Amino acid sequence: MLAYIIQRLAESALVLLIMSFVVYGLIGLMPGDPIDIMISANPDLTPADGARLRALYGLDRPIGERYLNWLGAALQGDFGYSRLHTRPVLEILMPRLGNTVILMGISLLLAFALALPAGIIAAMRPRGVADAAINLFAFAGISVPPFWLAILLIILFAVVLGWLPAGGMPATGAGAWAQVEHLILPVATLTIATVAGVIRFVRASVMEALRQDYVRTARAKGLGERQVMLGHVLRNAMIPVVTIMALNFGALFSGALITETMFGYLGMGKTIYDAILGNDFNLALVGLLLATLTTLLANLAADLCYTWLDPRITYE
Amino acid sequence: MTLRLAALLCALVLGLFGGATSVLAAELRIGMTQFPSTLNPLIDSMLAKSYVLAMTRRPLTTFDQNWELVCMLCTELPTIENGLAKPEDLPDGKRGIAVTYRIHPQATWGDGVAVTSADVVFTWEVGRHPKTGVSDYEFFKRILSIDVLDDKTFTFHVDRITFDYNAMGLDLLPAHVERPIFETDPAAYRNRTAFDTDPANPGLAFGPYKIVEVVSGAHIVLAANETWWGAAPAFERITVRIIENTAALEANLLSGAIDMIAGELGVTIDQALAFEKRQGGRFDVTYKPGLIYEHLDLNLDNPVLADKRVRKALVHALDREMLSERLFAGRQPVAHSSVSPLDWIYDPDVPTYPYDPDKAKALLDEAGWSVIEKGIRHNAAGERLTLELMTTAGNRTRELVEQVLQSQWRQVGIDARIRNEPARVFFGETVAKRKFTGAAMFAWLSSPESVPRTTLRSDQIPTEANAWSGQNYTGFKNAEMDALIDAIEVELDRAKRKDLWSRLQRLYVEELPVIPLYWRAEPYILPKWLSGLRPTGHQGTTTLWVEEWRDAR
Amino acid sequence: MSEARKYGLAAAAGAAEGPPRSVGAILWRRFLEHRLAVGSLIALVALALLSLAAPLAEAALGLDATKVDLLSLKQPPSAEHPLGTDELGRDLLLRLLYGGQVSLFVGIVAAFCAALIGTAIGLLAGYFGGTLDTALMRLTDGVIALPLLPLLIVLVAVDLTKLGVPEALTTSENISLYRIVFLIALVGWTTVARLVRGATLTMKAREFVRAAEALGANHARIMLVHILPNVVSPIIVATTLSVGNVILLESVLSFLGLGIQPPMASWGNMLTGAQELIWDAPALAVYPGLLIFVTVIAFNFLGDGLQDALDPRAVK
Repeated sequence: MLAYIIQRLAESALVLLIMSFVVYGLIGLMPGDPIDIMISANPDLTPADGARLRALYGLDRPIGERYLNWLGAALQGDFGYSRLHTRPVLEILMPRLGNTVILMGISLLLAFALALPAGIIAAMRPRGVADAAINLFAFAGISVPPFWLAILLIILFAVVLGWLPAGGMPATGAGAWAQVEHLILPVATLTIATVAGVIRFVRASVMEALRQDYVRTARAKGLGERQVMLGHVLRNAMIPVVTIMALNFGALFSGALITETMFGYLGMGKTIYDAILGNDFNLALVGLLLATLTTLLANLAADLCYTWLDPRITYE
Repeated sequence: MTLRLAALLCALVLGLFGGATSVLAAELRIGMTQFPSTLNPLIDSMLAKSYVLAMTRRPLTTFDQNWELVCMLCTELPTIENGLAKPEDLPDGKRGIAVTYRIHPQATWGDGVAVTSADVVFTWEVGRHPKTGVSDYEFFKRILSIDVLDDKTFTFHVDRITFDYNAMGLDLLPAHVERPIFETDPAAYRNRTAFDTDPANPGLAFGPYKIVEVVSGAHIVLAANETWWGAAPAFERITVRIIENTAALEANLLSGAIDMIAGELGVTIDQALAFEKRQGGRFDVTYKPGLIYEHLDLNLDNPVLADKRVRKALVHALDREMLSERLFAGRQPVAHSSVSPLDWIYDPDVPTYPYDPDKAKALLDEAGWSVIEKGIRHNAAGERLTLELMTTAGNRTRELVEQVLQSQWRQVGIDARIRNEPARVFFGETVAKRKFTGAAMFAWLSSPESVPRTTLRSDQIPTEANAWSGQNYTGFKNAEMDALIDAIEVELDRAKRKDLWSRLQRLYVEELPVIPLYWRAEPYILPKWLSGLRPTGHQGTTTLWVEEWRDAR
Repeated sequence: MSEARKYGLAAAAGAAEGPPRSVGAILWRRFLEHRLAVGSLIALVALALLSLAAPLAEAALGLDATKVDLLSLKQPPSAEHPLGTDELGRDLLLRLLYGGQVSLFVGIVAAFCAALIGTAIGLLAGYFGGTLDTALMRLTDGVIALPLLPLLIVLVAVDLTKLGVPEALTTSENISLYRIVFLIALVGWTTVARLVRGATLTMKAREFVRAAEALGANHARIMLVHILPNVVSPIIVATTLSVGNVILLESVLSFLGLGIQPPMASWGNMLTGAQELIWDAPALAVYPGLLIFVTVIAFNFLGDGLQDALDPRAVK
């Protein structure tokens, strides 16, 4: 098992390297550079200004050369400066990484905690009243675009009721409650958007597991419903659920973009998005590589979970 | 000190229990949609930065609300008449000019160090250093040398005489803070400048406010600066909060998390109109049409558009008055040329193109597009009258307008195909390299009496050969226009210049390289208790006069 | 052997009591028992037909769906405009019908293509294991982490005619539509791939697959006949969920300015456009929102029904 983990980590490093090249190339392929946009907004800038700035930021050199330069520095731990923020990349990313981990962690835990019981209840009596209600809730959650959900929550809780702040980050030195209250709406938005999908998977896989022979055997042996559920059904039903959670983990890392934009929350999604649009190579690259790393690790964790959940699955 | 501590404690307690609705008296919370990427006044030009920095520092000169050039940091505007500006011969035989400014005697950086000529010289040194990443480098290169007359007085020697010789939007850097950083490594200056590494350093500000806290991407807090020499500002603190989504920005205003929305970087016009209808009782909504010129650049290399009759038909087919009236409640007036009616050089007698579909049809017939099949015109060769219409994808107002244009053109038999692109593709590739084949909709942001050299002169057409420099994206070539532009730039006599401008406007309208659409207006949403905020309508932000804002609470 | 009978779809058809019937007929009969699914199917077919009939409705109402009428913006319902008009005075009903064509097309085609790719990759990876599995799964990780946004921007900017795409297609107004379908299919297969791989791993360990292997069945047959029918339920759940997700993703892309371009309507971009008019003209948001809601629900119930019908182990 240890050998397997080590091998996977080595593979991950390789994927990371390849991804760094792919992403660098992708950003480089995008037409237009920040200087063009600067010039288009300001008729006072002369062509000579443009050429000089381009040379200054190294935008006039071939992409391959720029990538190798970047890679060389990055391997020595120098990730460079963010062009947009004029600060070292890590100085910008680290606090945002923390924010994202908090936002994502709470949302995913909540989603999991809500989806598990809801999915099981729905699966116990398919097409019953509880199932219908849970399905309806789940569908409502997945059929509202996140930007709409966010604006509706803001209007309800910040404008109409006035209970919660409409967004933004708490002031430095603000109390614990200020930290919490700024999190409630973004967390709610993300949770509602994710929980529905997870419920659907829990329900489907529990139903599937319930039909298996071993469940019938367990019941025939006279085990209580609770024991059957916990001991046999859940364990088997977890495999697709674990997959989905791992996928969500990677996706949310950079995919909370809309939620972050609507609430003015400083997270990785918005940072990466702005970095890409602003041609901030250093920031975008490191941000995206962090996102890739998270995805890789989450999936590794999922694969390890499989063996724990179903001992028949082995990796050599 | 105790007072501030008490205020801080108070804020903490309120923050703990009162949540976002708590308001410190004498605090103003402004909402806007963009965060400045850097706070260094020389690096990068960005509206959000100008907005914030105008509270902490002042340029030497600026245009005021009446679009007159005035002194801000200087004490007297130099002119040839008052002797402070003197034309002179340059060593290379050209004519230059020596312009003398005097810095306000009480101007002092927030840490108590006086603002002096040494700061001017330092700023110029940074600006003309090729490695610092200053965007307006060419502007600094025009200043050949600086004579320091005394601590507060200095003379610029400029390499050319233009009518705007005394306009100097120069923003000073504090030599006592920045010089050591700059001299250590000029190439690293843009990353190490104290404006970004230590933004709350009081030595960076000499305006009515100084920055006390920056949370990148979220908010900037400013506090009154004790060394400010002008009128005392009404607000002890100003917080600028950044909320990029305009619907969320509006919700923040309604929830009381912010007090006002900056017009410079605020909500869209139709959002403001709808807001005014519902909330006009609680907030003042003011609209200031300004120097943001929304227009269609036509690619004149396209044989269809090279025909002036087709261009005229395109304008006559558009009911721009109706568009402005119905979509913008008349708040964004129709543009008839590139010169704003608010500019003193505007000539009201220049002919305009009223809505006249019959005339449009006649012009198209005359141009050979007379065969109508399924509602679309064709020429004798059977070619369809098709035109590509492009703009920045995701800009809702522009997308609405372009659909109106498309529909109105269709009425006279012109088939416009919409193909929008994200801003960075649109500006970075399609427009900059003239890859649009038909019409490209975007805006020019300019200052009063801005000479359209880069946009209309024939040597400013971007080509592969000149590395795509210049902004004459239409490909407009007109010898008379070139001569007019050259003449206007160096004409110091106002009356003569006005006459030249008048000829330029007539030529522009007659040749019609561009279809003028409307002047964009900036909607300011202000609380009823705030007074004294006067929109300028040009690129000078309202915060240049932030000390005049008054609190009636 | 009895195991194989129970799990094989073909076997289930042969073993049915009474006169022999085709597999299709059995599936159809099973499907019909799921009333919600049948209702959903009817609703979806109705929506699709209505959308396709948009030109007829246009003729019947005597209106032009693209004609802007500046004199009647945001009108309430009237005899002339059954649902009122939008922010440019166009008939809302017609816009919704045309929008339905686009949204349903994008949702169904993109989700289907993605499911197809994902199933193939998941099956191959799970069944063959080893190096192929490693390569495919790391590819999946990479694609999951791949940022959609620069990819889309690059795609927008790429000169398609140079890639051999016919000119008629690149200048067509539908190009933004095809681009989105292509992109979603290209990156949207990862969920299905991981799910199918997970399920395949479990199936491979089952006795009936081992038995089939022992009997010398070739790999393709084992994968398609023995494994695929048994992993079909997560595929269906994931695909029906993703139809809804794709429709929503299109709206998010519209939010970012990268979605379907005007004047073409989609429910997603109608909803995005209504965002700023939420107080002024709520109907502009309610109708497209409601249609997305109904469509997403219907697809999910349809998925439930299909899952039950296809599942060879579903015992009455």
